[in-house]
Amino acid sequence: MVDVISDTRVKRSRRGPLNLWLGLAITGSIVALALLAPVIAPYPFDEMSILTRLKPPSLAHWFGTDDFGRDVFSRTLMGAQYSLLMGFGATLISFAIGVPLGLLSGYSSRTVDEAIMRLMDILMSFPPILLGLLILTVTPPSLSKAMIAVGIVYVPAIVRLARSVTLEIAQEEFIQAAKARDDSTAYILFREILPNAWPPLIVEAGLRVTFAILLGAAFSFLGMGAQPPSSDWGLMISDARPYLETAPWIVLAPGIAMSLTVIGINLFGDGLRQALDPRLNSSKSG
Amino acid sequence: MNDEPLLKVEGLSVAYASPGGDVAALQDVSFQVAKGEALALVGESGSGKSTIALAVLGLLGAEATIRSGQILYAGKDLTNMPAGELGRIRGNRVSMVFQDPFGTLNPGMTVGRQAAEPLIRHQGLARDAAMERVVAAFAEVGLPRPAELVTSYPHQLSGGMQQRILIAAALICEPDLIILDEPTTALDVTIEAQILDLLMELRQRRNLAMLFITHNLGVVNRICDRVCVLYAGHVVEEGPKNLTLRRPRHPYTQGLLGAIPKIGPERHGRLSPIPGHLPAPGNVPKGCIFNPRCAYALDRCQTEPQSLRSMDGGSVRCWRAEDLPKFRHQAGVIGEPSRSPGTGVPLLDVKEMRKTYPLGRRIKLGGPRLVSIERRDVNAVNGVTLRVRAGEVLGLVGESGSGKSTLGRCIVRLVDTTDGQIHFDGKDVTHARGDALHKFRGDVQIIFQNPASSLNPRRRVGATIGRSLDLLGKISKQDRQARIEELLQSVGLPPYFAERFPHQLSGGERQRVSIARALASNPKFIVCDEPVSALDVSVQATVLNLLSDLRDKLQLAYLFISHDLSAVAHIADRIAVMYGGVIFEQGPTAAVLSRPNHPYTEALLSAVPTVDLTLPEPERIALRDQSLGMKVATTGCRFHTRCPRKIGAICETEAPPLLEPSEGHWIRCHLPLDVLAYPATVTTDGDRKIA
Repeated sequence: MVDVISDTRVKRSRRGPLNLWLGLAITGSIVALALLAPVIAPYPFDEMSILTRLKPPSLAHWFGTDDFGRDVFSRTLMGAQYSLLMGFGATLISFAIGVPLGLLSGYSSRTVDEAIMRLMDILMSFPPILLGLLILTVTPPSLSKAMIAVGIVYVPAIVRLARSVTLEIAQEEFIQAAKARDDSTAYILFREILPNAWPPLIVEAGLRVTFAILLGAAFSFLGMGAQPPSSDWGLMISDARPYLETAPWIVLAPGIAMSLTVIGINLFGDGLRQALDPRLNSSKSG
Repeated sequence: MNDEPLLKVEGLSVAYASPGGDVAALQDVSFQVAKGEALALVGESGSGKSTIALAVLGLLGAEATIRSGQILYAGKDLTNMPAGELGRIRGNRVSMVFQDPFGTLNPGMTVGRQAAEPLIRHQGLARDAAMERVVAAFAEVGLPRPAELVTSYPHQLSGGMQQRILIAAALICEPDLIILDEPTTALDVTIEAQILDLLMELRQRRNLAMLFITHNLGVVNRICDRVCVLYAGHVVEEGPKNLTLRRPRHPYTQGLLGAIPKIGPERHGRLSPIPGHLPAPGNVPKGCIFNPRCAYALDRCQTEPQSLRSMDGGSVRCWRAEDLPKFRHQAGVIGEPSRSPGTGVPLLDVKEMRKTYPLGRRIKLGGPRLVSIERRDVNAVNGVTLRVRAGEVLGLVGESGSGKSTLGRCIVRLVDTTDGQIHFDGKDVTHARGDALHKFRGDVQIIFQNPASSLNPRRRVGATIGRSLDLLGKISKQDRQARIEELLQSVGLPPYFAERFPHQLSGGERQRVSIARALASNPKFIVCDEPVSALDVSVQATVLNLLSDLRDKLQLAYLFISHDLSAVAHIADRIAVMYGGVIFEQGPTAAVLSRPNHPYTEALLSAVPTVDLTLPEPERIALRDQSLGMKVATTGCRFHTRCPRKIGAICETEAPPLLEPSEGHWIRCHLPLDVLAYPATVTTDGDRKIA
């Protein structure tokens, strides 16, 4: 009686939505450029030259030069590394802290849940910049500290998401079955619940990366992140402020690069959400 | 009856678009409904019965296409009718009642407005005039205090009342045809009985034609004139009710009838399930569509597709239909009634168990302390005492909200009890922790209702079962694999199923995996929480058979929880009847199924729809439906608010005494035994009387 296996589930279309592919292409090329930056950059990013200060874009310097005569194109390429490191690093940190807390909060008794969530409320009640600055001002600034600060800023959002997903999954009968066979809470959280909670979390991760890039740039702009002479995009914009009117290309290049990165990752995240969320798929089984 | 049928469906074929190409949902379906006639469309899930309803109403989604065929309503083809004209028929001349009243009513709109909508839309009535008609319609479907009810919201009403409102809304434009898609499936059995009675009454009064979609042959027997049996999108048999249900002419119909557990004196027999399952859409077998599952299939059946042919008063899709009555004994109940019920010391002993859930807190002003915080609780289980012996099956019956699932979960210690004791195998396990709890978890297992949610979707079957083995202690890889295969075999699944993911299994197969998982720790006692309720009849029979076999082979004891009295009566040695967290009657199955009974048991027994045409339809005992905001009573007898045999004030103030009509059979009621021994004479139609 078991020879015919019915798989009535309508398989999802292999062909993802357009924005998934577009986003993937943009993000992919930016990641590739960032990785290859040391090889393809025409000049070392920190090579100064008094003679070629503030030159507009030309064949020799595609994006022009800055106030120290450094090649903006090379600096922008190298800056991609910082931004991506910030984006992914900070997201990783917020997930590493947020997901376990969220799982625990969604699954545990009311007391534990309340304690975790009220703690998150406190974190969330600080404006993100202020919270970040608070963490950064205690010690001398650096990129890795900025990354940790951005990561912590986003922990509450991840906790809340992970909690809401867990609340739903914890109602499922297979969780009751795991309890009935005397499995530990840790096993239930990480082996039974977590694998089922990934789809919404992965989608959220895409969005978080872009937020982290922007917030990281804001910290650098305020002098709390990467330090000169690094070619971080936020720092580049900050340094170029006095020349905004006379040499706009110094600001435009990292600005456009940042926008492109954010748009690319956002498109990718959006596409991923559409591809993973069955509610957005029109196909249904009869 | 008129010559021209009201609704005539001819050669209807519908396909759904899917990534792998179009999948046929209906193939050449034809039937007709005359004026004032009730036709039942019967089939298991996936048979295409709901697709028919949607096609008739022009509500098929964008992914469905009508490939061929006609749907004639009063001679006009609905399939190629312009949207505007169809809109004038839909909800006006032809209306529909859906399965789930909770999902059909808009929670943010008063029920009166929702019911008035078709009048305003189709007949252009003003709001006030429409409301007057709504009040009249509510009264007609037996809703209490209709004038007040129109301003209430769906959540304030019980499921039965919501379904009555949907029926009233469907009838409000006085249609000729009403399509009912599983209208009672989501309701408790006593409420179901009342809704069916209401539909019968309305049908006669209004000469209404009905297209009644259901999977329940008992319901068909009660309400319909003709039956049309669907299998995998094909009509396999069509004919008058009395003929089709009494002398089925298609093996599938015969199989469906054989798979239904019946309430009767002979118990513990095996049901005769239909082997296999519905072919996957797009993967229809060659020859006769039913041949892979047919017990009488010959070589010829595998090559020759069957076509519908007429046969005395109906039609059938089987060339051996004439021979079918001869095969009847082959089907029937197979195997002998097995084993004697368990004896000996109680394995499980539950004493005075109570479980209260906090409903919330409220700040109360006044009183001696001026301001105090008042806690409000709900008693889900209210002092339950029961015993289960080794190898014994105790059936626990009750409607939704009776606390039966909570009781089951308290017993397996998934939920902590508020008060009372649980002894298992002579040890007090009420508050066991650590090693004692670990041992208890191995001895006591639970099987859940919902096959879709009881297995982790991201985990292979083997891993699910293997995890239970890992928790028992160290086990070598080979032993583990061998044991997984052995467990799969014991629930009738081949070893390669270990590599499958849950979504690759059918509902019945998933339920078997759940059973295998429960068996992994060699338990002595299993709580089966509605293990067959979510399954189709034919699959339900195989799972019930499996549970009985395992009980005999492994000397297992069960607490079998179900709302379905016939399933419980089939498998249980003793039955306990629960209402409002209290067990009102408990005793050996035969004793509980015969008089004297508690009034609630009596009502349950009279409400069960049966397909047995030889028995006279029992006099229905209607329970009083909940009126607005009514809850389970908290004082006196907890059943008094719905009891049709309430005596008076004593029921409201004093807890009923324990009566013992025979050894091991007891009833909790104020009425004396000699009164309970006779049926309730007055069948109160409480809805209309409750003020």
